[in-house]
Amino acid sequence: MRRFTIRVNGERRTFEAEPEMPLLWALRDRLGLTGTKYGCGVGVCGACTVLRDGRAVRSCQISVLEAARGRFTTIEGLSRDGTHPCQRAWIEEDVAQCGFCQPGMILETAALLRKKPLPSDGDIDRALGEHVCRCGSYPRVRRAVHTAARFTGSGR
Amino acid sequence: MTATRRDVLRLGLIAGASLVVPIRFDALSPATPRKKRDLKPAPDPERFRHRQWISIDASGQVTLVVHKSEMGQGVRTSLPMILAEELEADWRSVVVVQAEPGPDFPDMGTSGSDAVESSWLPLRQAGASARALLIEAAARTWKVPAFDCRAEAGTVRHDASGRVAPYGDLVGAAARLPIPTDAPLKSAAEFRLIGSRVRRLDGPAIVSGAAVYGLDVRVPGMLRAAIARCPVPGGHALSFDASAAKRISGVREVASVPSGVAVVADDTWSAFAGRDALAVVWDEGENASHDSAIYWARLEKALDQDARTTRSEGDAKAALGAAGVRRIDAEYRFPFQAHATVETMNATASLAPGKAEIWAGTQSPNGLQARVAKLLSIPPAAVRVHVPLLGGGFGRRIANDYAIEAVEVARVVGRPVQVVWSRQDDMRHDFYQPASITRFSGGLDARGRVAAWWHRSSTFHLTLFGPLDVNDPDTWGENPWGGFDNPYGIPALRVEYAVQPSPVPTGAWRAVDYPPTVFARESFVDELARASGRDPLGLRRELLGGPNPTIGKRVIDLGRIRRVLDLAADKAGWGTPLPAASGERRGRGIACNVYHGRTVAAQVAEVTVRRDGHVSVDRIVCAFDCGRIINRAGLEGQIESGIVWGLAAALFTRITFRKGRVEQGNYRDFPVPRLPDCPKIEIHLVEGADRPSGAGEQPVPPTAPAIANAIFAATGRRVRTLPIRPEDLIA
Repeated sequence: MRRFTIRVNGERRTFEAEPEMPLLWALRDRLGLTGTKYGCGVGVCGACTVLRDGRAVRSCQISVLEAARGRFTTIEGLSRDGTHPCQRAWIEEDVAQCGFCQPGMILETAALLRKKPLPSDGDIDRALGEHVCRCGSYPRVRRAVHTAARFTGSGR
Repeated sequence: MTATRRDVLRLGLIAGASLVVPIRFDALSPATPRKKRDLKPAPDPERFRHRQWISIDASGQVTLVVHKSEMGQGVRTSLPMILAEELEADWRSVVVVQAEPGPDFPDMGTSGSDAVESSWLPLRQAGASARALLIEAAARTWKVPAFDCRAEAGTVRHDASGRVAPYGDLVGAAARLPIPTDAPLKSAAEFRLIGSRVRRLDGPAIVSGAAVYGLDVRVPGMLRAAIARCPVPGGHALSFDASAAKRISGVREVASVPSGVAVVADDTWSAFAGRDALAVVWDEGENASHDSAIYWARLEKALDQDARTTRSEGDAKAALGAAGVRRIDAEYRFPFQAHATVETMNATASLAPGKAEIWAGTQSPNGLQARVAKLLSIPPAAVRVHVPLLGGGFGRRIANDYAIEAVEVARVVGRPVQVVWSRQDDMRHDFYQPASITRFSGGLDARGRVAAWWHRSSTFHLTLFGPLDVNDPDTWGENPWGGFDNPYGIPALRVEYAVQPSPVPTGAWRAVDYPPTVFARESFVDELARASGRDPLGLRRELLGGPNPTIGKRVIDLGRIRRVLDLAADKAGWGTPLPAASGERRGRGIACNVYHGRTVAAQVAEVTVRRDGHVSVDRIVCAFDCGRIINRAGLEGQIESGIVWGLAAALFTRITFRKGRVEQGNYRDFPVPRLPDCPKIEIHLVEGADRPSGAGEQPVPPTAPAIANAIFAATGRRVRTLPIRPEDLIA
């Protein structure tokens, strides 16, 4: 076991773990940040998506050793009070069904909108095309991404 | 998250006063499905026995203890909507808490698209009773006649004098009045909340990451456990060597449990790593040499040898052989399927002498309580079951196997334990949708009319309900769903059903028999239409044109089915040209279904098939009638969801076996549809009945046959085995 310090949601958090422990499990089991979800463990479902320096990454594919570099944002840190444009868009479009995969999709969308403030449907397909939602919330996800772009663009 | 009646009554005392009104629920709704028939919606409520309750406190807060599990179907929003409508509550003052199984909540089973339907009248009556009490309390306070007062948005008003009292001010007086049992219900014309679009109450918690699913439960001192299970379902561990596993940092204990070998650790990652390091010698049991082909062969043999007639009108076999009748045969196959909920199976258990506390995303909390009580030899009242949000259910979480594992492991280690399944565990140890074969023989008379219909299905028994009992009439009964209750009017019709003991665990998979049977039935109607040179919509209308049939105990309203068929066809532009780019083939297909005599649906799919056989589903138009609509936004979400579920079965997923092992292990090889695969979905709702009926399952069955029929229209290829693969369709 070694001590690691990672920067997450604007804080420095220190914990003990084996170096190869994925960031996902450090967030969930060491730091109490359970909004980041386990879905596949091999980087194909997107449920564990977090932001690293503003870019969407799969936290199940990053070891805590590698996580020493970069600033991470989880769903809990996306906004202080749930009012990030993506979160408001998700509420507006009533996207969630079981909701389990949604934090990953919201963070992916936040990263997308940083690069492409007005994404096309093709951009949305590429950015969110690997996220699994077994409830089939996809039509609303698409609408919510456009709505989030509108909220972001209008400064709402 | 959870509260007992005692808790709320105590809170009420602290708050000063509160009004508690019972909800009289139908005792007939199955708490725990014990047989496949229990997965059907409950019978109409007629006998009210059990008591649940609502409360209104002095601040005006209305609390509904929701007794159904929330798994994305929106039940924690739709049930309080029904209550708030009759209560005339201010929607913003409504909160829900999740029930725990016990004497007040004997009926928490969440399956069979049943929650809204079974709660509709009880919740309305409770709301109306509370409203009448509050009006009466205000009238007495103001010394005016009650019928001069009315309730609106959490207040009672006396318009003549302009007096207004919020509910919170009235609860003390109302609580001293006798509770009426015959308070008048609102008329549908007065509904404001019911039928509107209401956003999910859990939405803000979900988007902020605060929502608590089973995997997010944290109990002080808890350990995590991963379990090595025999890779061949039905096998068991003979011996194991834990030395490598115990060298993994964080691993605390390795122990034999009934389902395999448990590795208990400080955190989930260490438990997984320890489990991977475990060396187990398995007795793989009798399935060890089995490939999928053996299971298909069993179904074929059963179809030929073991089928029993479950419905017969006229003499279908004779009619098929009659002079001038053209016989058409076709056989359809639907594979084993996994649920693959994104939240893998998991549960947390904390035991103390003589009592147990369980946190489990379960669709069967009462069943879990009873099983744990039996396992630990303690009374059910000593077992508390908390139901957090379910990260998907779809029937998988009826089984409770994972929650029993948590109890077993906690018992061994003497500490609270969370059992976590990896994705591979989840996919390889499911209670699968069983594979099935459906064989049809249809007879067309000289004028091209369908004169005979012989349906044979064979499938595997659902082990969720225990061993197959061929002497139980319910084993045969009204099966298969979608075949027995085939709504089409055909002079000579015979339905036969064969069911085999299942080699692997099988259970309830969203809509159970309907997806395979309706895929076959609706494809075959299409085949008969093509064979007789008729339009697939026209033939369906013709077959649904007779008097309403009584099938089993239910009268099928054919007019409702015709209406959704016509609506879907009309909105989809049925019969109009569908332009295709060069190198592409495009087509439309239609399918319909009636779900247990209640909810009806029709879908039109539009597909594009490339030269290389790749299929994209461009658009699905769905017309849907589940009677009274409660939450329009939630209902549309369920329909979108069911269509994507059906799409997965049509084109994407299957479970196969090799040497007894499930070959798929993750979303790579069980490739559920992703966002780019999702068609444009258009939904048209019809309210064909005054009361609601279920909506969670019925969107699924028409999707695969609509797609298969559209593929035929595009390519002339009839694919009768799901999932449809590109190699079936190469130009």
